[in-house]
Amino acid sequence: MSDHSGTSARVNGRASAGPDLTPRADREGTAAPGRAGGRGACIVEASNLTRVFPMPSGPVAALRGASIRIAAGEYVAITGPSGCGKSTLLHLLGCVDVPTSGSVRFEGRDVAGLSESERARLRLMRVGFVFQRFFLLPMLDARENVELPQAEAGVPPAERRRRADELLAYVGLAERARHRPAQLSGGEMQRVAIARALANRPALLLADEPTGELDEETGEQIAALFDRVNADGTAIVLVTHNLQLAARAGRRLAMRGGRLEP
Amino acid sequence: MTARTLAWRAMTADPARATLAVAGVAIIGALLFDMLLLSRGLLVSLRQMLDSAGYDVRIVASEGFPIRLPVDHASAVAADVARLPEVRAVAVVRTDRAILFGRGDPIEATLLTVSRGAEAQAWRLVDGENLPADAGSPDRPPPAVIDRALAEALGLRPGAPLWLRALLQGEASALPAVRFRLVGIAEFATAESGDHTVATTLDGYRRARTAGASDDAADVILAASRPEVGAARAAAAIERARPDVRAFSNDQVVARFNENGFAYFRQISVVLSSVTMGFAVLLVATLLTVSVNQRLGEVAALRALGLPRRRVAAMLAWESACVVGLGGALSIPLGWALAVRLDHILRQIPNLPERLHFFVFEPELAAWHAALLGLTAAAAAAYPVWIAARLPIAETLRQETIS
Repeated sequence: MSDHSGTSARVNGRASAGPDLTPRADREGTAAPGRAGGRGACIVEASNLTRVFPMPSGPVAALRGASIRIAAGEYVAITGPSGCGKSTLLHLLGCVDVPTSGSVRFEGRDVAGLSESERARLRLMRVGFVFQRFFLLPMLDARENVELPQAEAGVPPAERRRRADELLAYVGLAERARHRPAQLSGGEMQRVAIARALANRPALLLADEPTGELDEETGEQIAALFDRVNADGTAIVLVTHNLQLAARAGRRLAMRGGRLEP
Repeated sequence: MTARTLAWRAMTADPARATLAVAGVAIIGALLFDMLLLSRGLLVSLRQMLDSAGYDVRIVASEGFPIRLPVDHASAVAADVARLPEVRAVAVVRTDRAILFGRGDPIEATLLTVSRGAEAQAWRLVDGENLPADAGSPDRPPPAVIDRALAEALGLRPGAPLWLRALLQGEASALPAVRFRLVGIAEFATAESGDHTVATTLDGYRRARTAGASDDAADVILAASRPEVGAARAAAAIERARPDVRAFSNDQVVARFNENGFAYFRQISVVLSSVTMGFAVLLVATLLTVSVNQRLGEVAALRALGLPRRRVAAMLAWESACVVGLGGALSIPLGWALAVRLDHILRQIPNLPERLHFFVFEPELAAWHAALLGLTAAAAAAYPVWIAARLPIAETLRQETIS
């Protein structure tokens, strides 16, 4: 049985052996000086976010004044009905989108002040994404998929291969390193996607319905993996309909009509 | 993992699509290659043909070259030209039409005579003997050399008698047939497709024309300039010495053809090249766009993971380059094979010099071909790259998840 107790039980060091998941020290200036740090330090802080999408039938507000603060090492689950703005909030926290109003400060830096390429660099080095539909590159094998973000980050080939193998072993797929996504099951693909998200030792792992495409047993395995990743030091924010998965998080938030509720 | 590696993997991940794309580009590239060969082929071939004659200046009578009028008093003109210090050698070329009689049906042919010493440039002997240097006895039939096809058609071999009746322009062909003796069989430099040639000495030529031999006209007089002088200066010197003729260097002849008759081929080539390039751009752009649209989720995910726009753009540009590069490499041998076949067909046009080719390879054409295909690859990648670069990441991820 995995540990469901959230962050508080894991604050002292890593919970498991395996690859180093400790968020890398910010060496590229993506964080404001003195703001990135150990557990408890703020990774991302969103204030009064609104996000309005122009639609043919008129503008639709997906977020209406949402605010949230994610600390290092935290495990936060956001639940809510479809269309309530969960994914939109996740995208704003992960700097793939910008709010219509309000602000997002990632490790002390106002995301609105970053250029597109600076935001891409920030995502590459500080954020990991896990998607409902995995989005692995089908022409690459599992190891190469995990190597890809490291390659972009300039990690030397030998080092990234070693880390990819470590991460695949960590997610229980050491024997499947040379398999392409088409040769893997849904659960295995999601585990590769988690390994890929952890490749550059991000400060924050964002997961959008990570068990949405999986059966209950496989979903349980993925949930256990998230527990382990968090126990080893990575902050996680996941949005899900799965209340069992959400229950494993240290902090649970509900979302309704574009607003966060405790 | 470079953009090039990702592009190659993406391309080979779908072998059927990649094969279709490469085959399409290979065929279009072959057509483009042929258009390039055609664009200057005739000019290059003409130049090679002119240069191979060993004379670099052509002397004609009329202003309106290349429409030719006979050069009157050719012997006197040739003698004057030969005396010029800028000129190394002179040859007088006379032609007419004649009907030949052998063992088979009568055959019409070009009757050719060149001044002594110019035979080696005018034809290459393949059987028998060449025309004798001396005039020979007036009682003896004059000698003749004919092309191989004519010899076969007439059923003649060297040593056989040959009857020839000259056809004079504007006059009834009432000239009697004159007996010649066939001394050799040759390949003629100026042979035209679908036509035959019979060469004889100046004496034989005059005896064939009998009653019509009152003039001393030549079709063209050829001159070879001294190397230290050059063809252009020699041509100018000839015109100064003989204001009644026009002299053109081979460069000038080629330039005139380039401005007049052969310009059509260049224009056709430009139009067809543009069309083929357009097809290539459309083909590759369509396949890449379809491919990108199938991979929007992956592209958005890559961007979300932190791969910058330029990386995704470079990946697609390389994918286009791989398709066009492979197709382009295959298009060269394919285009060459097609060019050989098309050249063979076009050279069946009657009265075309046999040594003239429509499709001629020049090394710089390969560079042009590569450059145009590179341009095609860039143009084809532009739209899919734009799609991928402008992709709204969050919106695309949401759409892909919902779909």
